[in-house]
Amino acid sequence: MIRIWAGRIAWIWIGCLVLIAITAPLLAPHNPRTPIGEPITAPGKMAVLGTDALGRDLLSRLIFGARYSFTSTLAATLITVGLGLSLSLLATTYGGIADRLLVGLANTGLAIPGLLLAMLLVAAVGPGLPTVILAVGLGGSPGFIRLSRSILNSYIHEGYVDAAKAMGAGHARIAIYHLIPNAFPQLLALSTTHYAWAFLGTTTLTFLGLAGDPALPEWGAMLDAGRTYLVQAPALSLLPGILISLTVLAIHQIGEGFQSS
Amino acid sequence: MVPVPDRSRTQLLITIGRRLVEGLLTAWAAVSLTFFSLRLAAGDPTYNLLSQGLATAQQAEELRQALGLDAPLWLQYLRFLRDLMQGDLGLSLYTSRPVGTIIAEQFRFTIGLALAGLAFALLVGFTLGIAAAWWEPRLVGRSATFITNLSTSLPVAFTGILVLFLALHLSMLASLPGLNTGLILPAIVLGITSAGPIGRVVQASLKESLESPYILAAHARGLREDARMLWHAFRPALPPVISLTALEAAYLFSGTVVTETVFARPGLGRLLVKSILEGDYPIAQGLVVLAAIFYTFSQLSADLAAIMLDPRTRRSA
Repeated sequence: MIRIWAGRIAWIWIGCLVLIAITAPLLAPHNPRTPIGEPITAPGKMAVLGTDALGRDLLSRLIFGARYSFTSTLAATLITVGLGLSLSLLATTYGGIADRLLVGLANTGLAIPGLLLAMLLVAAVGPGLPTVILAVGLGGSPGFIRLSRSILNSYIHEGYVDAAKAMGAGHARIAIYHLIPNAFPQLLALSTTHYAWAFLGTTTLTFLGLAGDPALPEWGAMLDAGRTYLVQAPALSLLPGILISLTVLAIHQIGEGFQSS
Repeated sequence: MVPVPDRSRTQLLITIGRRLVEGLLTAWAAVSLTFFSLRLAAGDPTYNLLSQGLATAQQAEELRQALGLDAPLWLQYLRFLRDLMQGDLGLSLYTSRPVGTIIAEQFRFTIGLALAGLAFALLVGFTLGIAAAWWEPRLVGRSATFITNLSTSLPVAFTGILVLFLALHLSMLASLPGLNTGLILPAIVLGITSAGPIGRVVQASLKESLESPYILAAHARGLREDARMLWHAFRPALPPVISLTALEAAYLFSGTVVTETVFARPGLGRLLVKSILEGDYPIAQGLVVLAAIFYTFSQLSADLAAIMLDPRTRRSA
């Protein structure tokens, strides 16, 4: 019972945030990048949640933050899933050397913790939000490859795959018509878990200032910008932190729902 | 009587040897991955110095020669491997000091934090995991499961800020002069993230063990549900916990990056972020290379420990 309700609340939370992210320019009372008054004011008529250290409206920044955080983490996850799934499909359907090569590659990538791998890529390309997205996407790939390969591998030896092969089905046909549909629930749960990871990873990198742009209205960057004012205005960093945590918790909850269904 | 050759012993040695070779290969591959991804993506690191006006064209050229960047890539790679074997990680682009020395200076700050964090993670993880498995259907078990899930969802940056915020308020209430964060608060923050996965594996592993036939047999023999029973179920459940702990120990390093930033502590994590933002790639490369080597060997020792602890794992592989 509790689990069902937790799942529903998670879906509602994510649904609301996605809506907010889409309609951010309509909802936000002010421009998130320009000052509207005195720095660090208490909540009032002009700024419902107060202003940040540069006099920008906190509420507007949080609303636009939903947009930046969701799009960047979604993009990172798409890279992870797109790259990881196509590689593990290739490896499972072709098998043999291709499979062993991919497993070796994934294990090598896994020898560097995902976040460090991402930071290494930022070190190579230089700070910036696109770099962070690419880095988180690639940094999560080895883990995704390893797990998705083991999922797909458990279906490749099924009777219907052998039957399809006997009827002359090619690798692509087996992958699209047999492997993906059968493994879909597990792959969906895995991708959701990786989405939660990407959310944590992206906000962590932006928190560390690796997005390059300190004015960026993104939750991770705001968490960093606000922490100097923990005494005067704790909401500046606590609110984005709470939003990140609740969102990651909700994604995990949804993933668990996929897992058990 | 002819002595029977000890087959299980040779088998064990073969398993250990194979794991060692695998570990060395992984470490080498990870180090190479680091080298090539940095070199190929970063292009010429002296370009940064030039564009920031920190060096003239001639100085940049001299630096390129001094760093050996004018050599072809494969030669640079071989030199890099040779230097790495000798413990030489190159020179910082900005200060021209050996990277090994710079890392060694910061190492003591991070190792203290990492060990304290790991100790906290183990303490909390074991408590939560055992509670969740032992009192599974009851409220205690369910709340333990919930806390375990929660701790994996919280970003280290946020728990850090939250703990700092609470500490600030408590210290203000007690009117303490200044805030002494010491080692305890950062260690708690660092440990919470790893406590979740450890707790989850302890729970899953112990639950599986509790449902196994030998526990049923122990029940049949009249063993009560108490500490002895827990230990009985717990020992066979340990190997996955040990290998996860090794994994978490290596992952703690990425946690220290954030923890050191939040608590403004010196250490390897701070060094990594600083070197990335400044474009001082030899330092970043050195840190990631060391992390990869450390990770591979902690995995290796965990696998070996599992082989020693659990005879069942000896046969596989």
